[in-house]
Amino acid sequence: MKFETGKRGLLINILSLIVFTLVWQILVILARNDIFNIPFIRLRDIPTPVETWYALAGSMFTRIYGPSFTYGIINHVYASLVRVIEGGIIAFIIGVPVGIGVGYSKFLGNLFNPIIEIVRNMPPMAWIPLSVFIFVSGGSIFIVFIGVVFPIILNTIQGVKSTDTRLIDAAKTLGASESMIVKKVVIPSALPSIMTGLRIGLGVGWMAIVAAEMVIKSPVGLGYFIWNMGDLGRYSEMVAGMIVIGVIGYIMNISILLLQRRYINWVD
Amino acid sequence: MKNLMKILFLIIIAIFVAGCLESEKTPQVSEPINLVKMSGQEMVQRLGTGEIAGFIMWEPYPAIAVTKGYGKNLIFSGNIWTDHPCCVVAYDDDWYKKTNNSDEILKRMALVQLKSVEYINNAKQSDSPDHEQLINYTMQFGGMTDPVAANLSLADVEFVYNTNVAGTATFIQKIQDFGIFDTKKWNMSGYNNAQDYADSLVTNNYVDWAVNNKDENISRIALEEPVNIRYAYLVNDIHELPFYIGWQKGYYRDLGINIVIAEGAPFQNGAFEMQQGFKGNTVDVGSLGIPPVIIHRINSNDFSNNDTKVGVIAGMNNEGSVIVVANNITSLKDLQGQTVGFPGQGTIQHVLFLMEADKEGLKVSY
Amino acid sequence: MGRLVFSSVSRKFNNFQALLDVNFEVENGEFVCLLGPSGCGKTTILRLAAGLVAPDEGIISLDGKKIDGVNKECGFVFQEYALFPWRTVKENIEFGPQVKGMTKTECESISKHYIDLVGLNGFENHYPNELSGGMKQRVGIARAYANNPKLLLMDEPFGALDAQTRNLMQGELLRIWETEHISVLFVTHSVDEAVYLGDRVIVMSARPGKVKDIFDVKLTRPRIRTGPEANIIRDSVLKSLSTQIKLASHEYI
Ligand SMILES: Nc1ncnc2c1ncn2[C@@H]1O[C@H](COP(=O)(O)OP(=O)(O)OP(=O)(O)O)[C@@H](O)[C@H]1O
Ligand SMILES: [Mg+2]
Repeated sequence: MKFETGKRGLLINILSLIVFTLVWQILVILARNDIFNIPFIRLRDIPTPVETWYALAGSMFTRIYGPSFTYGIINHVYASLVRVIEGGIIAFIIGVPVGIGVGYSKFLGNLFNPIIEIVRNMPPMAWIPLSVFIFVSGGSIFIVFIGVVFPIILNTIQGVKSTDTRLIDAAKTLGASESMIVKKVVIPSALPSIMTGLRIGLGVGWMAIVAAEMVIKSPVGLGYFIWNMGDLGRYSEMVAGMIVIGVIGYIMNISILLLQRRYINWVD
Repeated sequence: MKNLMKILFLIIIAIFVAGCLESEKTPQVSEPINLVKMSGQEMVQRLGTGEIAGFIMWEPYPAIAVTKGYGKNLIFSGNIWTDHPCCVVAYDDDWYKKTNNSDEILKRMALVQLKSVEYINNAKQSDSPDHEQLINYTMQFGGMTDPVAANLSLADVEFVYNTNVAGTATFIQKIQDFGIFDTKKWNMSGYNNAQDYADSLVTNNYVDWAVNNKDENISRIALEEPVNIRYAYLVNDIHELPFYIGWQKGYYRDLGINIVIAEGAPFQNGAFEMQQGFKGNTVDVGSLGIPPVIIHRINSNDFSNNDTKVGVIAGMNNEGSVIVVANNITSLKDLQGQTVGFPGQGTIQHVLFLMEADKEGLKVSY
Repeated sequence: MGRLVFSSVSRKFNNFQALLDVNFEVENGEFVCLLGPSGCGKTTILRLAAGLVAPDEGIISLDGKKIDGVNKECGFVFQEYALFPWRTVKENIEFGPQVKGMTKTECESISKHYIDLVGLNGFENHYPNELSGGMKQRVGIARAYANNPKLLLMDEPFGALDAQTRNLMQGELLRIWETEHISVLFVTHSVDEAVYLGDRVIVMSARPGKVKDIFDVKLTRPRIRTGPEANIIRDSVLKSLSTQIKLASHEYI
């Protein structure tokens, strides 16, 4: 992905957001005044950007009503992020060695490929009903794990397999043993792919966590939040939560992309 | 580019720090009870495995958990608030307006309600000749296989057909106090206070008519032209047993009402029934908890066309929910810092639990 | 030290006879150039000498020792440089010493020595993608040398460079080689380059790959590229090679 840098690019970015918000506002207002409506969609029930903004501001922090603490969006973001990071770390720790083994060794490849190929085609959401029952706690972390681990494994395999054979030859003639070659040639050369896998994986994991939190219940989490707001008919808060989900996912993606550019700057 | 990264990094750090501070802050006031939304089946199962310390739920789930020995009844909802209203029968205002004889239909639906409730209250007595039949109906409707649990689940439900305006007003007040209403929508509704709203929501006329005509010859008061009514109810909710009885025993049919189960019914909870059924105009009449009615007629309503406007014509039951806890728990205080299952925000069980916690000076978080 | 001997070496790939009965030697400290039509097996000879592939028949030995498995006493310089892109110039040169388990200070003194030798001072901490082709190949040569090899195997090392840089690098290579004298087996497509650099030039024939002619280049260094003796040798090498190239290309027509 290439960004247009400089003032012009930024201007276009901001403009597109403004136009989107305006279109949203206008469509809802037209629908509410019975001027225009898209068939089969209750446009008039969608909160306007302004209403969403107030809802976001109003539910950002924990509020107390009588005996009840209603957690703020901040808490929900934090809870979901922690789950994604925990699931992501476990997936990284397991996925990278598996990917390297399967990518480098023909034997391990033949051993694990059928399992990987079948299990990776089960989407993370398909695991939700099972994890409701088999996990005492941490079911949603498991869903994230499933979402993150396969992109990491597949990209690691791809990175390992596309290691330049001349680099391996060079290392061999320089006296490197098999394990040295894995450590000093295969892993570094697969690193950009591994990071890409992590980035894609965390994106999938972030979507999966929100779905998982809708089913695997815990007191906090963004998925739980938007589901609850829906239950209460608080659509402005619900849409605010949805937007927060999108923004956080975007920030996560960009952060890893930038980290990748900063620390893996040797890629042409 | 570097600066952008720093900014993003700072945002993430800020969210983390704020999250930490926020989650630190909450328990310091006093350890709250964590309410976690789950289905009734899950509550029973998780109480059995010890993953939750208790739950508040409608019958038959408390009865099932107790019969299985997973836990015990701690507080009956009748002890939280004697004779509190629970499930009710409500009609969709859009249907009401476009149907000529809607008043006549609703009168007869109230009469079915009366007859069913009277049947149940008689048959509840274990020496009644209808007792076995009632237990069978209860097991069918509640999705139960154990007659002991069925008996138990009937014990703490008080079946009624009367509407309860005062109780409804109390509920409205509580829901307002607990911050559940969308303030903007409440202001748009134009109601001045809880009593105002309760008066506009609940109608006694139909039950009054039913009481006056309950001994009339059925054929004399049956509708001349039978009508189809798209009816919605909640899944496995023993509170709505009067509907099932009226349907199965043919009380509706006898009065010229042909029950058609509405699209999407039975619903998982009252919130769905309000938002999908009544708001979406796929339900003409339905039964559900009074709090979802109260909440969604405000929060989910589009006040320009009142698409979620409903009216309450009859009761179904009072009481009938239970706080069930693990066997080692002796009071609500023991639940502090523990996880407790509930059927979701805005349900009657949610409001009742908050009321009880408020009474005991405990905090609840979700 | 550094005497490489190929005796009756043959190698097949699948059913394709890449090399058949190849015999030659590289004497101690000798600079031998290998010329031949494309696909005649030059790279294969280098890979055999490095122990990266094994012969089907025949024996390859270095200083009388049969090569079995990767030959760690040779340095390989590749056409496309094959530098580790994630390592800086210094780290690339230190790769060999590092995997041999040398200490940090030993590695550093070695890399400093070879950075000086190949003239890359000031570029120690640059990554390969920040270097020009000529500089990259200086790193390649330094990396091979840093491993203290007895034999340098070079596969068209200057093939990707422009003519000027190429001439410059040939001079640099000779300067380095004269400082640290080891045997070199140098593959090239350029007759000029072979005659300018080599003590001997081996011309190969294709399909199957065989040694066809061996020319002695008994000229003192520094050589004059266009000197009369050089021209005579170049002519005979060209003649030998062009028949080969005609033959080889004939088969494709
Ligand atoms: N690993 C291999 N598998 C199959 N065939 C191979 C392999 N390595 C080399 N060959 C074949 O052996 C022949 C000689 O290859 P080699 O690379 O040694 O030629 P070359 O003389 O170096 O050619 P060039 O001048 O193009 O570099 C070629 O026909 C090539 O296709
Ligand atoms: Mg070659």
